[in-house]
Amino acid sequence: MELSSLNILFIGAAALLGIGMYGMLVSHNLIKIVVAIQILVKSALLAMISAGLARDEIQLSQSLALTVIVADTIVAVIGIALAVQVRRRIGTLDVRELSKLKG
Amino acid sequence: MASTAFRWLVALPLIASPCIYLTGRVGLRKEWSKVAQVMGFVLLIAAWIPFLLSANDYAASGTLSLRIGSVSLQMDGLSLLFIGITLVLGTLVALFSQSYIAREDGREKFFAMLAAMIGVMIGLACASDLFNLWIWFEAMAVTSYLLVAFYSEQPPSLEAGVKYLVQSAVGSTLVLIGISLVFSQFGDLSLADIRRNAAPSPILLAAGGLFVVGFGVKTALVPLHTWLPDAHSQAPSGISAMLSGVVIEAGLIALLRCLSSLTGIAPTWGVLLMGFGCLNMLTGNLLALGQKQVKRMFAYSSIAHMGYMLLGLGISYYTNDPNGAQGSLFHLLNHGIMKGLAFLAAGSLLYALRILLDQHAPLHIEDMAGAARLYPIPALALSVAVLSLGGLPPLAGFTSKWQIFVAGFETKNTVIILLVAFAALNSVLSLAYYVPLVNVLYRNKPSKDVLVGGRIPWSMNLPLIVLVLFIVLLGVWPTLADGITIPAGQAVMQGVIDVSTAALP
Amino acid sequence: MAVLCVSLCICLPWIGSIAVWRCGNAHSKLQHSVASVFAVATGVMSLLLLLNPAETPVVRIPMGDFFGELTLVPDGLGIILAIIASVVGSLAVVFSIDYMHGDPQLGRYYALILFFIGAMSGLGLSGSMLLMFFFWEITAFCSYALISFHNDDPKAVSGGVKALIVTQFGGIGLLIGALIIRSYTGSYQIGDFLETAPALESGLLSAIGFGFLLAAMAKSAQFPLHTWLPDAMEAPTPVTALIHAATMVNAGVYLLARFFPAFEAVAGWKTSVMLVGLLSALLAALMATRSDDIKRALAYSTISQLGYMIYAVGIGGIFASMFHLLSHAVFKALLFLGAGAVIQATGTRDMRRMGNLSKKMPFVHATFMIGCFALAGLPLANGFFSKELILEFGLQRGPQWVFLCMLAGAGLTAWYTLRIYTMTFRGQSGEIHVVNPAPPAMKTSLAILAAGVLTTWLFAAGFSALLADSLPYHNVHVTTNISLIHEIIRAPLTYVALLVIVAGGACWQFRDRVVKKFRIPARVTQFVESGYGIDIPYTAVVRITQRASRLLRDAHSGQLNLNVAGISAALCILLTLLLAGV
Repeated sequence: MELSSLNILFIGAAALLGIGMYGMLVSHNLIKIVVAIQILVKSALLAMISAGLARDEIQLSQSLALTVIVADTIVAVIGIALAVQVRRRIGTLDVRELSKLKG
Repeated sequence: MASTAFRWLVALPLIASPCIYLTGRVGLRKEWSKVAQVMGFVLLIAAWIPFLLSANDYAASGTLSLRIGSVSLQMDGLSLLFIGITLVLGTLVALFSQSYIAREDGREKFFAMLAAMIGVMIGLACASDLFNLWIWFEAMAVTSYLLVAFYSEQPPSLEAGVKYLVQSAVGSTLVLIGISLVFSQFGDLSLADIRRNAAPSPILLAAGGLFVVGFGVKTALVPLHTWLPDAHSQAPSGISAMLSGVVIEAGLIALLRCLSSLTGIAPTWGVLLMGFGCLNMLTGNLLALGQKQVKRMFAYSSIAHMGYMLLGLGISYYTNDPNGAQGSLFHLLNHGIMKGLAFLAAGSLLYALRILLDQHAPLHIEDMAGAARLYPIPALALSVAVLSLGGLPPLAGFTSKWQIFVAGFETKNTVIILLVAFAALNSVLSLAYYVPLVNVLYRNKPSKDVLVGGRIPWSMNLPLIVLVLFIVLLGVWPTLADGITIPAGQAVMQGVIDVSTAALP
Repeated sequence: MAVLCVSLCICLPWIGSIAVWRCGNAHSKLQHSVASVFAVATGVMSLLLLLNPAETPVVRIPMGDFFGELTLVPDGLGIILAIIASVVGSLAVVFSIDYMHGDPQLGRYYALILFFIGAMSGLGLSGSMLLMFFFWEITAFCSYALISFHNDDPKAVSGGVKALIVTQFGGIGLLIGALIIRSYTGSYQIGDFLETAPALESGLLSAIGFGFLLAAMAKSAQFPLHTWLPDAMEAPTPVTALIHAATMVNAGVYLLARFFPAFEAVAGWKTSVMLVGLLSALLAALMATRSDDIKRALAYSTISQLGYMIYAVGIGGIFASMFHLLSHAVFKALLFLGAGAVIQATGTRDMRRMGNLSKKMPFVHATFMIGCFALAGLPLANGFFSKELILEFGLQRGPQWVFLCMLAGAGLTAWYTLRIYTMTFRGQSGEIHVVNPAPPAMKTSLAILAAGVLTTWLFAAGFSALLADSLPYHNVHVTTNISLIHEIIRAPLTYVALLVIVAGGACWQFRDRVVKKFRIPARVTQFVESGYGIDIPYTAVVRITQRASRLLRDAHSGQLNLNVAGISAALCILLTLLLAGV
C-alpha cells in the first residue's frame, strides 16, 4: 500500500477518530467531552474530503463538508449550553457526578 | 410527479415552527404564550390535510417525488407509514401537552421544537440520498436534545440531556464516516444509484457496520442503548411518547434505507438484525423487570419492542421476502400507538399527582395504587396499553407480534423458528412486569399521592380515549392496516427507487 | 339461524360485559341484574345450539393472508364446551349476587366474568387455530384478572400472576403448533389439518403434538405444571367454581380430544398423555388427602379428576372423557359453590375449624352431599356413570398396570371426599358461629346444580350421538341410555370399583388404625404436602431471572464514559465480525 496523499488523509482521519474516541473515554470534564466530539466530527470531515478527492468530486464533498460544519456547530452550541446549565444547577462539570440516573 | 400536497406536507411544520416561537415571544405576556401553544396544535391538525391528499396521490400514482433545489425527496410506502404514525402521535401529543406544559416557562419553545421535530421527521422519511438522510437525522437529533432537556432547572433532566447529546453525537459521526466510505466507492450518494451498483466489498461492509452502530445509537440497539432509559424517563411525558413512539423508529427507518441500498450483502444484514433483535428483546425485558419507576420501565420496554421489530426485519433481509418486514412495520405502527398511550396515560397520572403539586419526583408504581377509582380513564388507558404491549388479544400488540411470528415460521428455517420461539418466550416474560401495574391501579385502597392528586382535563383524556380505540380496533381487525403496511414492507425490500427522473417536465 | 346462535353465544356476554361496566359501581343492584340477565340469556342461547349442530363452519370471516379465515363450527365438542361455560357461568353469576354483595368493584368483576364466558364459548366453537389461540389467551387473561380480583391482597396478586405466566408459557406450545400447521399446510382450519395430518412429516407432527400436550398440561393444571391451580384459590369462590373447576381447566382436555385423530399415530404421544393423566390423578389425590384448606383440597381434586379425563383421551375414549368432563363440571361447580356458601357463613377456609355444619346449614349440606356422591363415584350421581365408563375403557384398551393405578385412584378419591365431607359437616363443632346459612340466590344455584348432578347422565345417549354425528375424524363410541346402564350393571368391574371406593372411605374412617399399621415416616408426608418438590424448579427459574435482571441493572452505572465505551466496543466487535466473517 503506497503512502499516497489519499492514503495519508484516510489514515489521518482514522487517527483523529482514535484520538476523539480516546478523549471521550478518559475525559471527565464535560467541556473536554464536547471538544472530543468536535474532534470526532473533524475526522469524519477529513474522511469526507478524502473520499471526494478519491472520486474526483471535490466540489460536492466540499459543499457536504460545509453543511456538516454548520450542523455540527449547532450541536456544539447546544452541548455547551447544556454544560453551562449543568455547572449552574449541579455545580460541577465532572461527568462522574452526572451518574445519579442508573440501573 | 411533483405534487403541491407533498410540498406543503414537508414545508408546513417547518415553516410553522419559527412562527410559533416568534408568536410566543411577541409580547412578554403569558397570553401570547398561550396563543403559541394553541397555534402549535392547530398547525399540526392542519398538517393532516396535505398528508391525506398526498396519501391519496400515492394510492393513485405510486411513489411521489419532489425536488427543492438540488434536494430530491420521495414518498414511498415506508414514508407514508412513518409520516402517518408521526402525525397521529404528534397531534395527540400536542393536544395532551396543552395542559401538561401549561405551567412551565418556555411553552412556545416546546411547541416550536415539537413542530420542527415532526417536520424534520417527515423529511427524514422522504429522503432519497444518503447525505440528505443524515441532515434530516441530525436535525431531528438537535430538536430532540432540546426537548429532552426541557426541564432545564432539574438536575436529572440535565443529566439525561447531556448523556443523550454526547452519545447521539458519536453515533451521527459514525454515520458520517460510513457515508464517506460509501462516497469513496461510488462518488454518488443517491440511494437508488447505490442499490443499482452495489457489489459486495470490504469497504461497503465496513460502511454498513458503521451505519448499524451509528444509527443504532438512535435506534437503541443493545449495547448502544444506555442513553435511552434516562432520556425517555426525564423528558416531558408527551415527548417521551414521541421519543419511544417515533424517534427511535426514525433511526430504524434511516438504517433500513441505508441497508436496503447495500443489498449485495443482504443476508448478512439479516443475520445482524436478527442477532441484535434477540439481544434487545432479552436485555430490554430483563432490565424492565426490576424497575420501580413507571417511565423508566416503559423506556426499557421500548428497547425490547425494538427487538421484535428488528427480528422481523432481519428475517426479511435474510430471506428476501417482504412478509417479515410487513409484520415488523405493523409492529412499528402498533408500538407507536401502544407505547404512546402508555407514556401519555402515565403522563396524565404524573400530571395529576406531581406536576399540579409542583413536585418533580418521578412516578413510582406504588404511587399509582388505587388510581382507578379517582382516575378511571387514565387507569383504563394504562391497563389497555400495558396488556397490549404484553401481546394479549384482542389488542393490537397480539396481531402485530403474530404477524412477525408467522413470517418467521414460513421460512421453515430451524434457527429462525427457534428465534421466534425465543421471541414468544420473551413476550411471556414481559407480562411479568406489565401485569403487576394493572393490579396496582385497581386496588381498593388508594395511595397517599392519589388521594391528594389534582384533576385531569379533557384535553388529556381525549388522546387517551382515541388511542385506546385504535388499539382495540387494530386488535380485532388487523387487516385495516394492510393498506399501509404492505406497500411499506415492499418498499423496504425494494429500497428507494428513483422516480424523479422518470417524469421531469 | 345457526349463525345467529353461534355469534350470540360469544357476543351476547361481551355486550353484557360492556353494559355492566357502564352501569357504574354506584348502582350495584343494577349491575347484579344486568349481569344475571345477560348470563342467563347466554345460557339459553347455548342450549339452542343443540338444535343445529354442524360439521363445517357456519361463520366465516376472512382476515387477510396472515390471519387466515376466522371460522366458527358448532360441532359436538364445541357445543358441549359452550353449554357448560354458559350454563354453569349463569349459575355462578346468580350465586355471585349474594356472594359478592357489597363489593366496591362489582363492575370489573361481572365484566370480566361475562367476558370470560364469551371467550370460553368462542374457544370451543372455533374452527380456526388462530381464533382458538385468540380465545385461549383471552381466557388466560380473564382467569388472571379474576384470581387477583382483590388487588389489595398480595397473595391474590401473586397467585394471579403465577397463573398467567404458567398458562402463557404453556400457550407457547399451542402457538408453535398452530404456526407449524399454518406454515406447512397453508391453512389455520382445524378441519383441514385433521384431514391432511397423516401426510405431514412425522417430526413435525410430533412437534405439534407435544406442543399441544404442553399447552394442555399448563391449562388443565396437570403434573408438573399444576402448581398454579392451588394458588389460584385466592379468587372469589364463584370464579373458582366457574373458571378453575368447570370451564377453563377443561380447555386442555378439549384441546387433546379435538386433535386426537391427528396425533394418534405419533410415536409416544398417547403414552405420554396417559402418563400425564395418571401422574396427575394419583399425585393430586394424595395431596388432597393432606390439605386442610377446603378450596385447596377441592383444587387438588380437580387436578386429579382432570387427570382421569386426560387419561381417557390417551386411551382413545373421547366420549368417556367428554362425558366425565360434563359430569365433573356440574358436580365440581356444585362442590365449590357449596364450599363458597360455607366459607361465607363461617368466615374461614380452614376445615379444622369447621364441623357439625350439617345441622346449621341443612340446605348446603344436602347439596354438598350430592356433590360428594358424584365425586366419589357412588351410584345415581353422574360421576358414577362417567367414572365407570372411563374405567371400563381403561380396562378394555389401555395397559393393565395403568388401569390398576387409576382404580386405586378411585379409592383415594373416596378417601379425600369423605374427609372433606366429615371435616366440614360432621364431627364436633369448633368455635365457628354461622352468620346466615344461605341466602336465596346461592340456594338457587346450588339446587339447580344438584339437580344437574342427578340427571345429566341421562343425556349420555344424545351426547354420544351428537359427538359421533358432528366429528367426522374421531371414532366416537355411540351408546344409548339403556345400553349404558346395562353395560355398567353387568360389568364386574363396576362392583370391584365400588368395593375400592368403599375401601377408600373406610381408610379415612378408620384412619387411626391404618396409620398405626403402615407407619409412614413424617418425611414422606412432608414431601407430599409440599407438592413433591415441584416448586423448587419454579422458584429457581424465578430467582435466576431476577438475578440476571439485577446483574444487568448494576452494569448500567450511568457513567457517560462507560456508555461511550459501550459504543466503541460495539463498533470494534461489529467491524471485526463483518470483515472477518465475509
